Order: sequence, then C-alpha cells, then structure tokens
Amino acid sequence: MNIIVCYKLVPEEQDLVVNSDRSISWDKAEWKIGSYDLNAVEAAMELVESAGGKVTVLSVGNSRLENAKLKKAILSRGPEELVTVVDDDLVDLDGHNTAKLLAAAVNKIGAYDVILCGEGSADIYAQQVGSQLGELLGITVLNAVSKITPQGDRLVVERTLEDEVEVLEIDLPAVLSVTTDINVPRIPTPKDILAGGKKPATKWGLADVGAEIAATVEYLSTLAPEQRERKHIILEGASEENISKLYEFIRQELA
Amino acid sequence: MSLLDKVFVVAENASVIDEVCAAGRTCGQKVEMVLIGSQEDAKRAISVGADKVYYLGEATVEKRVEDFLPTIAALSDQEKPAAIIFRTTVRGRLMAARLAAVLGTNVLTDASSLQVDGTALISKKRVYGGAALREEKAVGPVSVVCISPGIAAPLEADSSREGEIIEVAFIEPTRKVKCIETKAKVGEQVNLPAAKRVICVGRGMEAQDDLNMIYELASLLGAEVGCTRPIAEGEHWMSKERYVGVSGVMLKPELYIGVGISGQIQHMVGTDQASTIVVINNDKKAPIFQYADYGIVDDLYTAVPALMQKFKNQ
Repeated sequence: MNIIVCYKLVPEEQDLVVNSDRSISWDKAEWKIGSYDLNAVEAAMELVESAGGKVTVLSVGNSRLENAKLKKAILSRGPEELVTVVDDDLVDLDGHNTAKLLAAAVNKIGAYDVILCGEGSADIYAQQVGSQLGELLGITVLNAVSKITPQGDRLVVERTLEDEVEVLEIDLPAVLSVTTDINVPRIPTPKDILAGGKKPATKWGLADVGAEIAATVEYLSTLAPEQRERKHIILEGASEENISKLYEFIRQELA
Repeated sequence: MSLLDKVFVVAENASVIDEVCAAGRTCGQKVEMVLIGSQEDAKRAISVGADKVYYLGEATVEKRVEDFLPTIAALSDQEKPAAIIFRTTVRGRLMAARLAAVLGTNVLTDASSLQVDGTALISKKRVYGGAALREEKAVGPVSVVCISPGIAAPLEADSSREGEIIEVAFIEPTRKVKCIETKAKVGEQVNLPAAKRVICVGRGMEAQDDLNMIYELASLLGAEVGCTRPIAEGEHWMSKERYVGVSGVMLKPELYIGVGISGQIQHMVGTDQASTIVVINNDKKAPIFQYADYGIVDDLYTAVPALMQKFKNQ
C-alpha cells in the first residue's frame, strides 16, 4: 500500500507575541510540524506495518521546508521519503490553493493508494485541505476518521460524528483526514533521528508540478481579541479568612 | 448593511434548519434552503425564514448525506447564489470543502460573524489556537461559509410565512462509500458549552483519584467538570468531550473555576466568555491569574478541601 501523508510547518504557539496594537508576531517563533499531522504520520506507519507498503511525506511551502532539522523531524517518524514543493510565494496560502498544489504534487508522484491528512492545521485549523484535496483528485474523501483497518484491497474506517460513529467501507484510492484520538504518535529514538537524516528528499518548484496559485480569500486583519475586564482580586494563601472570602464571592455569583 | 441578492443555506439535517436560516437572513435578500430531510422539515424551514426550499429528500443508509453533493453542486451551478452557507458540523465541513473545491474557492470556516461587503462575505474566525481573530473575505463569485453555533438568533417560527418548495431530483454520485453500521459514541455525552457553572482542572492535579474531590465540589456547586487538553489527551483522565479550549469545547458559563491550571492561551480561549473566573493555583506567577476575577494562591490540595467544607457547612 502506497501512502502519502501531507503535513504543514507551523509556528510554535508558545512563542506567540501579542503586540500592543493586538497584532500577532511570530518573529521569534520556532517552527515545527503541525501536531495534528503527527497523528496522520503515525496512522500511515501503523497501516504499512500491518499491510505492507511505503510512506511518503509531502508538504508545500516556503524555503523553511528545507531546514535540515525539520526534514529530519518528519522523516524520523518512519516515512521512507520526503517530497516538497517550495517557492518563496507559498506563505499564508489559503486552503484551496494548498489543496491545489498538493493535488498537483500527488499527481506527479503518481502511484498512491491512500492519502492521509491531520484533522486540521495546528495554526489555522480550518480543517478543509484534506477534503478539498480529495475532491480535486476526484477520489473518495472523508474527514473525522478515528480508526482505519485494512481489509483486502479496501479499508474499513470509523468516522466520528457529533453524536455517533459511522463504520464505513471504502474503495481506494482515498483521502482521509484523521482525528487526534486515532493514535498516540510514537516518539523518535536517537537512532530514528539519525536515520531520518539519510532518507531521500525531493524538492520541486511550482513549475515542476505545473500549478499556479491565485488567492481565493483575502485576509483583512489578524488581531488578538480584546480582553474582558476582570476584577483581579487575588488572595495569597488558603487561610481561613481567605477561604471564607472566596466562598462569599462564589456564593454571590451562584445567587 | 447591504444584502447579497441570493444565498443558499444548506441543512444536512433538521437540527440545523433554524440556525442556517437565521444566518442566511442576516446577509441575503433571498434565502433559499437546500434541504436534506422530510417534507415537514421543509415547511419548518419556511416558517423560520427560508423563501424557497430545494427539497432533496431524506438521507438513508444507501443514500448518505454526502451522496447529495453532486445534486447540491449542480443546483448551485444552475442557481448561482452569491453565498452558500453550511453549519460547522463534521458533515458540513466535508461538504463545504468539497463544494468549494468544485467551485475553485476557499471555505470561510468556523465563522463567528458574517458581514456583507459588496458581493462577498467577510467572516471572523479564531486562528493560532484561538489567540487571534482573523477577518477574512471571500474572493470570487461565490462565498462558501461554515458558520459557528450562535452566529444569529433563530427567527420565531411563523406558520403564516410563505415560501415555495421545489423537489430536486437526486444525482447519483460517481463514488460511494458504503455504511456498514453506525455505533453509539463511546464515552459520555456531556454538554459543557451549555453549562452555567464549570470547574476545570489541569496539570496541577497529581493523580486521577484526586479528581474525586473536584467531582464532589462540582456536585456541591451544581457544576460540570472540564479539563485542559493534557488531562484528556495526555493522561486520559477525562473524555475528549471535556477538554476546554482550542479544538475542544468553548465555554460560556456564568462561573468558571480553574484548579491547578497554568493558563496557557490554548485553554484560556475556551474560557474568555465566562462571566466570572475564579482561580486556584499555587504559582502566583501562573498566567491564569491575569484572567481571574477572584483567585487564591495556594496548593489546590489545601484550598479545595477547605472551600468544599464551607459549602458543606452552608
């Protein structure tokens, strides 16, 4: 089974700085692989471990994708090969264009049975790239997949809806976006990380995949929400007096 | 505010009818519903604001909700609405994204507000783990949107409202997924977003058994119990339905009590609509105190039992 896993580099949310004008700065941020994408990589590894096959990881973005540490970080999780589509213009790409570029890259890669995506990107979390990708490729596509079991040349998957779980049988090829509770991603050992640095990586440009981008959404502003005014009555120590005060505060709120 | 000429609102099941109609009415002159449901549901849709209902029929095991997508795509191609509005559900997200792919556009997802600008919609959504609000505008002839709950107050049902119901023939999809069965969701059904009082716990809890005192306090206060993501997804001490914040539950309680929670933005975005925030944490410098109305700086293992005693004595 040939599996392609899509991933995205995102800024470390702990490094976010909110400026005084409520704008957001990532200037000092470390970059990392989106946490939701790690579930997709793990699901792919579990699939090839039980059914055989090969896992390729794929991403589109700017030259940050070429960072050796970040390449090692994704390959140390088991995939055999990395493919990237890199261009300096591929920043803050909207979901439709991301899916379009991924589709172009997937078509150039050629043979695949399953494409796995995370539930959403860890930064924007619009949860639509996997679903758009499947439609653009003209193949079966599902979101919210919480279990995958190979069955002959098909897959049986569970899909978690708001109030129930669907058990579905799907023909391949297919694009599946997996939930965060589908697995617990393994942590790479030092040996895995060393091996990750030696795996093949292919870099394409926009012209190589023959895709053009044209924005389908305009970002008007991105600002931290205004904070609600709070009372900030902070008592130090759980003394009898302080607990009594807190009890009174809560009682008033409950009244 | 100017309105778009014609908007489609998609109801993939009866439970979203009122909400999508209400959202449609805030931005469209003509609100036309694409309905997967019963004839009764179609009448309901008109009573709560739809001017026209494209009636697609009911979903079945063989004819799944998603199988209606080619029908919806053909209808939108024929009618050319300025916007297509879905409700943010698992199915709604998938269908909106697939339709947007066909239309060559992006989905404005998780829209917490909608505004008309010329012939397009502007929406607001939380990004960066909820730390920021992004305002985004659709580019192109059609705006595809997934709305968040509570974006517009549903209209009072009025059976004297008039509207047209048009039956639409089903277009068989080229690809189908076979549903073998549906199962009940494992784990409990909780409705934290509706809870008026919520106690949340975080990493300050040392052991799962210690949650018992939190449950006891909660029952004294008539509160629900929630947690931070590491407690649900790292420790598995609580179900996923109980974690508050990014990709989890967004609370709107009158009272929120945070116990042993440091106050990372990823959790706090789920609490910032609480009327009152009470904090118990032993670290005076914990960021959560910045959000607090009332706080106690001390070990939760001292403060919680002492507070509980007060409520027991009352």
